[in-house]
Amino acid sequence: MSECQGRGKTLHIDYSKCIGCETCEAVCGFLYDTPRIAMARTNDGQMIPIYCQHCEQAHCMKVCNRGALMRDRDGAVVLQPMLCRGCETRNCVIACPYAAFFATDRGVAVRKCDLCVGRRAVGLGPACAEMCPCGAIRFADRDELDELETEASREARDRVLAHIRPKK
Amino acid sequence: MSNAMNFAFMREEPAPPNGRRVAIIGAGPSGLAAAGYLGCLGYQVEVYDKLPKPGGLMLFGIPGHRIPADRIQRGVFILSRKFGVNFHNKTKICCSAPLHEEEGDHFSCDIRGLGELVEDHDAVIICSGAWKSRKLGIPGEHLKGVYSGLEFLFPIRAVKYATSNVSVPPVEGRTVVVIGAGHSAMDVAHSAKALGARRVVMVYRRTKKDAPAGSYEVDRLIDAGCEWLERRTPVRVVADEAGEHAAALEMTDANTGETEALPADVIVTAIGEIPTPPFQKELGLENVRKGEVRWLHMTSIENVFVAGDVLTGPSKIGKAVYSGLRAARSLTNWLDLKAQHRENEYNYDADVITRPGASNEPR
Repeated sequence: MSECQGRGKTLHIDYSKCIGCETCEAVCGFLYDTPRIAMARTNDGQMIPIYCQHCEQAHCMKVCNRGALMRDRDGAVVLQPMLCRGCETRNCVIACPYAAFFATDRGVAVRKCDLCVGRRAVGLGPACAEMCPCGAIRFADRDELDELETEASREARDRVLAHIRPKK
Repeated sequence: MSNAMNFAFMREEPAPPNGRRVAIIGAGPSGLAAAGYLGCLGYQVEVYDKLPKPGGLMLFGIPGHRIPADRIQRGVFILSRKFGVNFHNKTKICCSAPLHEEEGDHFSCDIRGLGELVEDHDAVIICSGAWKSRKLGIPGEHLKGVYSGLEFLFPIRAVKYATSNVSVPPVEGRTVVVIGAGHSAMDVAHSAKALGARRVVMVYRRTKKDAPAGSYEVDRLIDAGCEWLERRTPVRVVADEAGEHAAALEMTDANTGETEALPADVIVTAIGEIPTPPFQKELGLENVRKGEVRWLHMTSIENVFVAGDVLTGPSKIGKAVYSGLRAARSLTNWLDLKAQHRENEYNYDADVITRPGASNEPR
């Protein structure tokens, strides 16, 4: 597999712009039957999409014994189902700090976002970012992530992270 | 990447024209998603909408600070310029109710019948949404100054499209009481505040943590200066001395069991909408809802499909988009197999499979 150019691309959600409308999840589910971006409801009733951030230092890649998680040339962490198939440890599900691995009940044990690998192959971007009514989801260069953050987006993101990783 | 809600996300360029024409009734999220899908596949798509601009409630219901209007409009622009979708705005397709009954009808200047569309196109998808507001069913609801959530929100956006018969509810300096705790109730309260209401009071029959919009949204409203009264059940709208205009909302307090009257100049009942399908019975929508049809999303009229809130009742943009995409895909499958006289090979059960737990839900 070729090395990723530069720091690659990733998905970025500005939770301060997100209205919890579920379009991302719906479009993903339409394309792939089971969505790889999933809505969660926080304790205070906000609907938030949970998604893979294609971490530069990806825990999931480190804990996968089978080498089924690879970085593709755009920087996406993609799952190779033929290597994953048969594994039931779900190490990746446990390791992911963003809860972005979704356990399945049959076949390949997990599913995850691959930044719409098949679409990227023909020059399209991830469908969730295309269809988000609010422009909250961006398919962005990792280098421009800092520019996308605002005070409101950081605050909203902290709220989401507090939901994903509640304080004990 | 342009800053557009790209309904034509399936392809960069449309496939070569396939010679088929499809009419879509309703240019909200499900209609536009269906238009995008079909446009990508090379269909000639005609979209009809009663309003002056495509976008449906994304444009006319949900406030602009939540969904940027230009993002929707750019998506529509891509559909029309690049994918050859024709938009017929201000055109109402003959409905079950007489004209001027739903919010937004007064924009329509052309009325066409569904039968005519069915004849002129290879297929039709009805995505007309849920426009009728649910009523509380309490005395005094008909009084002036009592609005439904849509009646209140719609003109605020619609008035920009300049017609003399739309006016923004007068709230400046007044007391607005909002009944309900869903997203539209939240939007009404924020809008009332933004329009200069002196006092905005939210009334909900259950507690903050039961609010459909979530307690976070309620807290934001309280931060914005709105008042929150929970466990209150409205029982009557009290008229003013002339007996024409609402003056107060009478409600029972479930905490104390007592009845109290809350003075109000404007009362908004944001308790949800109900679908307004044209030809409800003729289309056999009840069967489509239950999944008792031979073809996914197809009504009892051949070649007529249905999707979105008109089918499911008011939901969320995502559900409407999903439904529109599924109906569009089902439609292409139908026309493809029918062209080869192979309709009986259709596998309904395989087609309805969605994500686990949602497989029986018509979406």
